[in-house]
Amino acid sequence: MLTKYFKSSKLRQENPIAGFFINAWLIFFAFVSIIPMIWLLVTPSKNDADVTNRHALSFGQFSGYKNAWDNLQFFDEGVIFRWLLNSIWYTVTIVIIATVTATLAGFALSASSIKFKKSILISTLITMLVPPMALVVPVFVLVDKLSLMDNPLAVIFVSSLYPFGVFLSYIYFTTTIPRELYEAGRIDGCNDFKLFTKIALPLSWPLVSLLAFFAFIGNWANYFLPYILLPSSVNYTLPIGLGFLFSATPAINPSVGATSVPIYKPEIALAGVLIALPIMIVFMISQKRLVRGMLSGSIKE
Amino acid sequence: MLAPYLLLLLIFGAIPVVMAILEVPHESRTNPDGGWDAFNIVLHDFRFLPAVRHVLGFMAIFVPLTIIFVIGMALMLDLKISRWKKYLRLAYIIPAAISGPVAVLVWYAILQPTISPFKGPLKFFHLTSNTQIWQTKNLVFIFALMAFFAVCGYWILIQYGSLQGISTEVIEAARVDGCSALQLAFRIKLPLIKKYIIYMGVLIFAGGLQLFVEPELLNKGAYQGIAEAWSLDQLSFELAFTTGDFGGAAALSLLLLFPSLLGALIVIFKTDMFEEAEVTSKKGEK
Repeated sequence: MLTKYFKSSKLRQENPIAGFFINAWLIFFAFVSIIPMIWLLVTPSKNDADVTNRHALSFGQFSGYKNAWDNLQFFDEGVIFRWLLNSIWYTVTIVIIATVTATLAGFALSASSIKFKKSILISTLITMLVPPMALVVPVFVLVDKLSLMDNPLAVIFVSSLYPFGVFLSYIYFTTTIPRELYEAGRIDGCNDFKLFTKIALPLSWPLVSLLAFFAFIGNWANYFLPYILLPSSVNYTLPIGLGFLFSATPAINPSVGATSVPIYKPEIALAGVLIALPIMIVFMISQKRLVRGMLSGSIKE
Repeated sequence: MLAPYLLLLLIFGAIPVVMAILEVPHESRTNPDGGWDAFNIVLHDFRFLPAVRHVLGFMAIFVPLTIIFVIGMALMLDLKISRWKKYLRLAYIIPAAISGPVAVLVWYAILQPTISPFKGPLKFFHLTSNTQIWQTKNLVFIFALMAFFAVCGYWILIQYGSLQGISTEVIEAARVDGCSALQLAFRIKLPLIKKYIIYMGVLIFAGGLQLFVEPELLNKGAYQGIAEAWSLDQLSFELAFTTGDFGGAAALSLLLLFPSLLGALIVIFKTDMFEEAEVTSKKGEK
């Protein structure tokens, strides 16, 4: 305890002025970091006039949230609810398929000596590193040919390709489970499937939660792919719906004429909260996991 | 057990590329005779060079700014002079939750002097009207700032984590030898986490190339016409979905894919980033 204190105050003793400024800067940047989120969270509590007239970070009333939600329901017969459900079920399905396929693939690559193992790993790394934008139009052409346009399954399957997860899972299994264990299992007559369920799976829960975490944050707010593959409003996800509201409301887009639908800044901000809040919560509860996961993508434990 | 993944990789990774190649020579309005001229036509599209310039300008600001800032912040956090380190890290991660269209909405508000939560600083720089801010020539800076805030907290945490991986003995030894905090940072800590810095650079670079939702939404909504076919993503979207020129859009995708493939191969084979994966041979084992 004492040495810890000594170490932690070392710089302060060496150079108290620099220490003070660094500390002040770190705290200042923390405030800068949280202000946009606070703005987003308090905006739905106010009415549209107060968003401009009152202080940007002031709080209105709790009833403001209810009011904004009710107003959102006015839009296209409550389609927002549909968007929310879509977002949830697409994301949950993607997380499940991506996590399961990545766990299995990582295990297979690490446990058995398959032919083309090296080529598969290299293809995985390439797919992981190539920017997704270069693949969007090609994927669209394929989805169109498969007549899967405007079908949620297209977004779900395309997004379930999870090379980063496969790589993470491969590294995890090679570093946590010694190969000898599998060999012993094989001698005892286990096939690959049994090796997985008896040896690998019980040890893989930290990996599974890590994979699910990255799959969730990568897909919940995804815009480009669903925007292109799902043109009808009933199939929108929340992010696409938010984009649509943002560009269609006269409160933000001056060229749209006045409408009777009460969608103003507080309503749009509330739609933003529905997207951002789940990610923020997940980030905050799993920040340790995040750091460990990102680092293990490129190093040995 | 590999089968499900391989199937996805094949269908949504490899086949689309083949289909894109086959799509290029199709006849279209811009390429009436069909054929591989499509590449040439895209390269000479009047929107192509400006879009390349925009994306490069954006990357030239966003990538170095983010890398340098993240390293600086991680080193400062690692000095362990703040008692509230835990809370600081929680605060830094928050902007990462604001991404995609939510980020567009929030930045629309931040850079709108009448409703901005940063009214004071904007006023300080004499920015009192949104027409001063929202001009096409300012977009590279605005988008760079948006992208910077969306990822920097996330990477600060990760690089702070990589600094925690340095053994305390090394640090103590350097201190005994009389290393100052600055020397310690530049001579010991940074060289030891070099690998993670490269890793971060590669991922920031690949992620930054995608610029679609920001210019698209602003162009369609708040500030119409401000970013028409501003980025390469938008141009390929424009070609495919507004003009119906899928050959041209596919050609543009392939023009982006080949340099990215080359880049990926260089990262895989010419750096030691993925050594543990036994994809490339380890040093000394050749």
